[in-house]
Amino acid sequence: MEPLISLMLRQTSRLYHPGDELTGEYQIDAVDPQEIVAVEISVLWYTEGKGDEDLAVHYFQRRVPADAEEGDLRRLHQFSTVLPNSPLSYAGQIVKIHWCARVRVFFRGGKDLFFEQPFLIAARSAQAVLST
Amino acid sequence: MTRSIRVWEKKRGHRRTGSQLVGSVGEALFFGLLFVLGIVCLASVLTSQIVHPTPSIYEPGFGFWLMVLVLASFIVTGGWGVIHTVMHVGTSVERRSAIVRRAARIDLIRDALPSAKDYPNIPRDAHLTNSPGVNLAFRLPVASSSTWKLWFATAFCLVCSGLTSVLIVVAVNSHLRRSPEWFLTAFLVPLVLINVWSVIYFVRELWTQARVGPTCVEIDGHPLRPGMEYAIFLSQAGRFTFKSLEMALLCTEEATYHQGTDIRTESRVVRELSLFQLASVPVEPRAPFEIRQSVRIPDDAMHSFQSSHNAVRWTLVVRGEPDGGPQFARSFPVIVYPDVQRNGSGKTS
Repeated sequence: MEPLISLMLRQTSRLYHPGDELTGEYQIDAVDPQEIVAVEISVLWYTEGKGDEDLAVHYFQRRVPADAEEGDLRRLHQFSTVLPNSPLSYAGQIVKIHWCARVRVFFRGGKDLFFEQPFLIAARSAQAVLST
Repeated sequence: MTRSIRVWEKKRGHRRTGSQLVGSVGEALFFGLLFVLGIVCLASVLTSQIVHPTPSIYEPGFGFWLMVLVLASFIVTGGWGVIHTVMHVGTSVERRSAIVRRAARIDLIRDALPSAKDYPNIPRDAHLTNSPGVNLAFRLPVASSSTWKLWFATAFCLVCSGLTSVLIVVAVNSHLRRSPEWFLTAFLVPLVLINVWSVIYFVRELWTQARVGPTCVEIDGHPLRPGMEYAIFLSQAGRFTFKSLEMALLCTEEATYHQGTDIRTESRVVRELSLFQLASVPVEPRAPFEIRQSVRIPDDAMHSFQSSHNAVRWTLVVRGEPDGGPQFARSFPVIVYPDVQRNGSGKTS
């Protein structure tokens, strides 16, 4: 059975604005704690479209068993970051910019698994357009 | 049923479908073998010369030194490849990106990067606002003009003419010696035609450059922000009447991608806002055409964006068609910042 990774963003609408605080939490299940070598949480943007993918991390935290209570990285962990002014989410014709929070879990034996939650960063003036 | 080990896998840019570990091992093996091959061959070449020296091969040419150069390049490429692969093994893309981001925080490095700290991935506008205008606040630098075409035409015309002249002399001599080089003579026919075309192209470009004078664009504020209106001043010099002259604000998406071993860039204009379109615009040598307009950046405009392989660019473009001459277009880049100032949230410049 595959290990389960749950990642939740506090703001259910998943629409943020530059300077907003993004908070969330993640948890890992269905795996022995000894099997987990490290867990990385990152808030990042990546491009999609005709061009090669670009990716930049805005927030990054790597935790190893020594950082966790009783060495158990599966437990619920919270994270928080203030979102930058740019780049904003964008859906162009050959260039698209996506934001997401991503949890990557590293297991013994070199295998890794990740799960991500997409969200939008938009200017406040664009909120009305997006909500429609 | 999926195979556990795929024989063929897809790779596009840095993305690939197969196992990252297998890919990395393959990469390391390839570069390692290249490195070892270079070391072994170079060592054997050098030692053979130490044991049995042959002074004649040290003369400049395509022999000994070329071999040393090629083998040294094997060592450098292989060594660099192995180090690069090893550095990337066991680290996620997010971790590598975070390391790069931390490195960019060091002042010396950050100053050399195009992005301001408060507006990541938006090009800085320092080079656009360092030239004050005569009528408005800033005079914008021209990004692409037809000057490069003239340089290309000049270089091509010179090389082509030189080559053709030498080959014509050789061919004529062969005919005079009564041992004609027919292949060379036949080869000269298309070459002469290309040379004639290159001379015509060069003269035409030179003529256009000489007649279409400089274009000057000034703006009253920079960087631009969505929902704001800006005054634009255009001055176009020249020596004739323009059949048409227009100015527009363009938003272009640019994507760079790998296709096989080639790197290609595709640009697409995704938005065009016309500022004005005029017909029959007379321009005198001492009285350039001048016009003052305003441009409003749309509320939903995407901000300028620049990353390694993708970009969103905004440019003011002046296009004209001179009477009796080819069309020309000159671009003046501008930077559009996101609309964060008016909503009271986030940092502002």
